[in-house]
Amino acid sequence: MKTFHIHFFENRKIYFAISIGIMAVGLIFNIIFGTQLDIMFTGGAVIKYSYTGAIQQETVEQVVQDVAKKDVSVRILENVKSADGSAAANNVSISFSGTNSISVDDQQAIAKALTAKYPDAGFKVVESSSVNPTMGHSFLLKCIAAVALAFILLILYIAIRFKKIGGAAAGTMAIIALLHDVAMVYFTFVIFRFPINDNFIAVVLTILGYSLNDTIIIYDRIRENRRLLGPKTPYSALVNTSINQTFTRSLYTAGCTFAAIATVFIVGQIYGLTSVTTFALPMMVGVVTGCYSSVCIAGPLYVMWENHKAAQKTAAAK
Amino acid sequence: MKRVAKPVFFIVALLILILSYTATFGVKGQNGDNTTTYIKGAGDIRWGIDINGGVEATFSPETKTKATKEQIDSAKSIIEVRLTSSHITDYELYTDYNNDRIIVRFPWKNDEKTFDPESAIQELSATALLTFREGGEYTTTTTGSDGQPVYKTPKGTTAANIILQGNDIKSAKAQMIQDQTSGKAGYEVSLELNDSGTQKFADATQKLQGQIISIWMDDVMISSPRVDAVISDGKCSITGNFTAAEASSLANKINAGALPFKLTTTNFSTISPTLGASSLHAMTLAGIIAFVLISLFMLFVFRLPGFVAVIALMGQTALSFAAVSGYFPFVNSFTMTLPGIAGIILSVGMGVDANIITASRIKEELWAGKTLDGAIQRGDDNSFWAIFDGNITVIIVALILMGVFGPTNILSMIFGPSTTGSIYSFGYTLLVGIIGNFVFGVTATRLMTKSLSGFKFARNKWLFGGAKA
Repeated sequence: MKTFHIHFFENRKIYFAISIGIMAVGLIFNIIFGTQLDIMFTGGAVIKYSYTGAIQQETVEQVVQDVAKKDVSVRILENVKSADGSAAANNVSISFSGTNSISVDDQQAIAKALTAKYPDAGFKVVESSSVNPTMGHSFLLKCIAAVALAFILLILYIAIRFKKIGGAAAGTMAIIALLHDVAMVYFTFVIFRFPINDNFIAVVLTILGYSLNDTIIIYDRIRENRRLLGPKTPYSALVNTSINQTFTRSLYTAGCTFAAIATVFIVGQIYGLTSVTTFALPMMVGVVTGCYSSVCIAGPLYVMWENHKAAQKTAAAK
Repeated sequence: MKRVAKPVFFIVALLILILSYTATFGVKGQNGDNTTTYIKGAGDIRWGIDINGGVEATFSPETKTKATKEQIDSAKSIIEVRLTSSHITDYELYTDYNNDRIIVRFPWKNDEKTFDPESAIQELSATALLTFREGGEYTTTTTGSDGQPVYKTPKGTTAANIILQGNDIKSAKAQMIQDQTSGKAGYEVSLELNDSGTQKFADATQKLQGQIISIWMDDVMISSPRVDAVISDGKCSITGNFTAAEASSLANKINAGALPFKLTTTNFSTISPTLGASSLHAMTLAGIIAFVLISLFMLFVFRLPGFVAVIALMGQTALSFAAVSGYFPFVNSFTMTLPGIAGIILSVGMGVDANIITASRIKEELWAGKTLDGAIQRGDDNSFWAIFDGNITVIIVALILMGVFGPTNILSMIFGPSTTGSIYSFGYTLLVGIIGNFVFGVTATRLMTKSLSGFKFARNKWLFGGAKA
């Protein structure tokens, strides 16, 4: 049976460098592209129509602007495939600037005006969304509160379950690993220019659970090995052995979960289901970083902390 | 090691197969033209609006002052009457008293030819027209969501003679009354009219003594009481063997016609049915492919425990379907959305973890030199707490997801029920998946593995990951 002998603790500088490097790239993208919040958090309106034939983007913009008295930006997507075999149609997506919602009357007026302009296009509403900014903001607050709550509960759980091997240290290092994962998911959204929407919150929460799951496996092994190897074994050796022993399992599980989500992503990509792909891609990234952070970040950080505590103790004793 | 009898494997596997089959296809009985559904299958799953297409809208009263709870309830009942009258029985309706909001969500009917969500929303939020009319003639009857008949469209004298209108009514309240003779408690609706209505009503009750005055909301008859006496002071009560709920519902509807404010639509979102159907198809495909990939992987890498894992995963997925479709009588059927399906797929990917941990542990013990039985026992025991802790964290996350993205709960005390429901479905399927994992990935797997190891052909360390003998 394959046993690994990777020096996780010794290589920690490399791992930290990789993480910081990726985050720096993400930060640069963030500065360039800015954070784009979806209308469900900011308020605003988007309407997507399907049509046949040809239409002009500028004409559509003009028509809608005249009716709605607001600036709009129009995007055209041609030949959107349908998974159930029906004919491919063209989609036009109208985004209204500003954060105010539009009224139902306005939406009807827009549909009428467009049909008058292009009577043969057969405009049909595919999806539409109009959100009031106050509601959007309160929803955003609720989501942030949820993520904060999740952090607190999960850290409490770890601190209690792993008291024997230094609950606070274990908990804190797990938080750092989780924050690392959240940042990676966030940067995925930024780099691929997905607007931050409820999918982001769902992915963040899921990856919190998943990454912690991974970290727990390692801590569990550390706890067991502490019993087996005795209290004299240095933390670096203890953690290295534990991580190496659980490494196959970490890889397998990450692999299976990744495969499951990757299938969803690929199928969604083929059929142009943006709601699915914006959910699946960050999840894929999250699974990878979740595994990586548990193995390469949380473990070595934990050793550093415990060594630091031990050094403080010996210094105080002197 | 506790010996597990050999037939146990077959029993467990058979139970899982039955569960999988019935959860997917349901159990239906054919009786001539009628199909009675004994147990619901995956085909009976109620799909959310992102799959079925549909409308979600938030209504708020257009008023500067805060509306009272009764006013919001009345407004809600207008919407309910209209939904029923449009044959929309499968709707979700939430009220948020703190923020004066009413949130309605309903799927688009499958056979509806035109997708005109804007009209639907406008119909729902239009100002209610409450009328009291002479007689009780109606044109059509349909069945409401609670099985009660719904009478629509007044005709004849009922259409012609309107006695009272919404602004003639001051208030309606549900009251409890004590029957003097029998001592039983009953419920009635006590009505108070404005000055404008008192005289009109006195005349009408005089003229129509012993006859029916029907009460209409828009085009739907909501009550048809008989006139017992002449009402000249503008105060009367409507009796009719009402339960508390019925009396309160009728009072709400009457009050709704007298609301001092209009409802405006602050939020709305619509999804067309065609977009949804395509998404469902894609996700189902993805789910099947993912399941097959994971199964192949487990079989190839872990051999016999991998085989057990595939059966356990099947059981876990079946349980997910069952929990959503209303298979179990004690679990309500649930609206399933695209993230919900993603949740099932994800919980399969994460659930297989339990089997991977256990099988890896068994493999480790075999390589450390333990006997087959010893390795299985130690593998099971040592892996349990790791699986337990890992699953608990996912349960915590799933509960939070359900709390943030679902209807009224503790978090709602701070921020109000949200307008997004699709992620709620994700939290639910994740939660069910993990519970299923405990049942199948842990308990059933251990039973099946131990039972299988009793067979002669299985007494081979290689099958469990050990070295070739």
